[in-house]
Amino acid sequence: MDFSLLLDPYILTEVLVQGFVRGAMYALMAAGLSLIFGIMGVKNFGHGELFMLGAYAMFFVTVVLGWPWPVGIAVAAVALFIFGMLLERTLIDTLRRKAGRDWVLDAFILTIGILVVLQNLALILFGTSRRGVTSLIDGVLVWGPVIVSYERLMILGVASLVGLSLWAFIRFSSLGKAIRAASQNPEAAQTLGIDIRLIYTVTFGIGAALAGLAGGLLISIYPAHPTVGFEPVIKSLACVILGGLGNVPGAILAALLLGVIEAYSAFFMSAGWQNVITAGLVVLILIVRPSGLFSSSKVERA
Amino acid sequence: MTAIPARARDANPWRSTPVRVLKVLFLIGLLIFIPPLIDNPYITRIFISAVMLGVMAAIFDLMIGYAGLINFGYAGFLAVGAYTSALGTFHFQVSPWAGLLTGGLATALIGLATGVISLRLRGLYVALLTFFVGESIRFALSNSPEFTRGMLGLSVRPLPELLGFDFSRGNILAYYYLLLLLGGAIMLLLTWLVRSRFGLAFEAIREDQLATQSLGLNTTKYKLYNFTIASFLAGVMGAFYASYLGILSPSPEEFGVYRTVEILTITYVGGRGTLWGSIFAAFLLIGLQEYFRGLGPWRLVIYGSLLIFVMLFARRGLAGFKKYLW
Repeated sequence: MDFSLLLDPYILTEVLVQGFVRGAMYALMAAGLSLIFGIMGVKNFGHGELFMLGAYAMFFVTVVLGWPWPVGIAVAAVALFIFGMLLERTLIDTLRRKAGRDWVLDAFILTIGILVVLQNLALILFGTSRRGVTSLIDGVLVWGPVIVSYERLMILGVASLVGLSLWAFIRFSSLGKAIRAASQNPEAAQTLGIDIRLIYTVTFGIGAALAGLAGGLLISIYPAHPTVGFEPVIKSLACVILGGLGNVPGAILAALLLGVIEAYSAFFMSAGWQNVITAGLVVLILIVRPSGLFSSSKVERA
Repeated sequence: MTAIPARARDANPWRSTPVRVLKVLFLIGLLIFIPPLIDNPYITRIFISAVMLGVMAAIFDLMIGYAGLINFGYAGFLAVGAYTSALGTFHFQVSPWAGLLTGGLATALIGLATGVISLRLRGLYVALLTFFVGESIRFALSNSPEFTRGMLGLSVRPLPELLGFDFSRGNILAYYYLLLLLGGAIMLLLTWLVRSRFGLAFEAIREDQLATQSLGLNTTKYKLYNFTIASFLAGVMGAFYASYLGILSPSPEEFGVYRTVEILTITYVGGRGTLWGSIFAAFLLIGLQEYFRGLGPWRLVIYGSLLIFVMLFARRGLAGFKKYLW
């Protein structure tokens, strides 16, 4: 290992930009996952399949129809918002009313079923070939010794914009306030006239929309194929744990951190060990600080 | 609606004790005699898959169905058993028969360690932690090709001859009967366990951990027992799997999340907290899979849909239909 290479500005920016782009994807995925967990208590293991559907939607709009990429990203987000709400209302809501007390563990199993079905339906409908685009935008930005492609800048820009809008929505809109109320105390929220079922459905829809948007946004890096969602869901799950379950800003911060850590370790080690490091880190955090890196709240303990 | 007196139900001759014994004997007879009578290696392999996955699912059921612990890294635990036995043979000339035991012990050790760090947590946290433990095991196996041969695949020697029985790979009936013995012993052990004092403690923990604690039961200790015993048995099954299959690779299908999901589905379709339901569900699901082999990915769609259906509409799994069939 030659650490002095890192002082080289070309390599330093390359590694950092690579890390932030990865981190942006993990952040979009993890924000949705964490939101759903924070509000509903459900761990959505099928989140990666929503990412995959977003990627296919993006491919369809930009390549098959030939429309511009912003339309593709919007379509991916909106389509997955609707699909997510449908999924929640038809399956998860039904389960919640049937399973009673310990429904969240059952909901986790249910999302595994959703994962298996969606992944294999995609395999049947689209086959195993990778469908992507080489780049959405051409050109590179040259600024002194720093060279960054416009495409990556666009990914970082869109991801930041979405992150900020999500924050503003949760913070200031009345629906956002209702969502926060429901997450703090569902019963009290209900007595104040907040429709919990609607909140759950919308929350799941937003989470799905974020996953779909991530899938669309990153199509040039992760071309659409049936199992494309596997890595994003594992990594975003790791971010959600690192950031503290249900803590959305924590998850986003952890996502950026993980992205950069992975980019650095990929530079020094073979790609395989990167996964061991991530998994080991998560296990360590769950043992030492189950409430996550950035949280002061307590975890339900036995 | 008037309640049916319990005695009236017992009077049903179909459910009387002698008939039950006959029914059980009949099923055991089917298991013993169908494969040799049909004498088709393909059918025998299906029976082996079904019994093997059924027993693995029953062990999984000991954790989820009786103590409410999801071991979502289960396939990684099977891998520890399989690889311990196979690597012992490969590098240190340990007999594969001893490998069944060393595989179990190594997995029990991993189970104990995982239990110590995770069982203070509950529900989803246990699932998350075990998942990452399982994945770490799998990644470690695939990243050490100089020792495990990684994704190239590790070939495993067949079991050597024992008591005059030939366990060469061509003679799969021998493996089948060994599996019946091994699986039968494990199932009896599990049944005894859940009916013992331990089983009551497990169920009490599943139903209400706090109340169980207030009764003075050390819930962490019982969960640790549960997890370690289940891991030991999983390791034994993993070691058997290695000897039977002959080649191991740490792929997601074989020792990763896909395998865990496969086993978990069998457990849920069989019905949580039933043990034997897993065996029936394994035959149903493996049978369906083979029957629909020509359908390719559609059979996995059926698999996933079945899991969703069971979670939503048949929450007790096959066990919910027991009263019509048994």
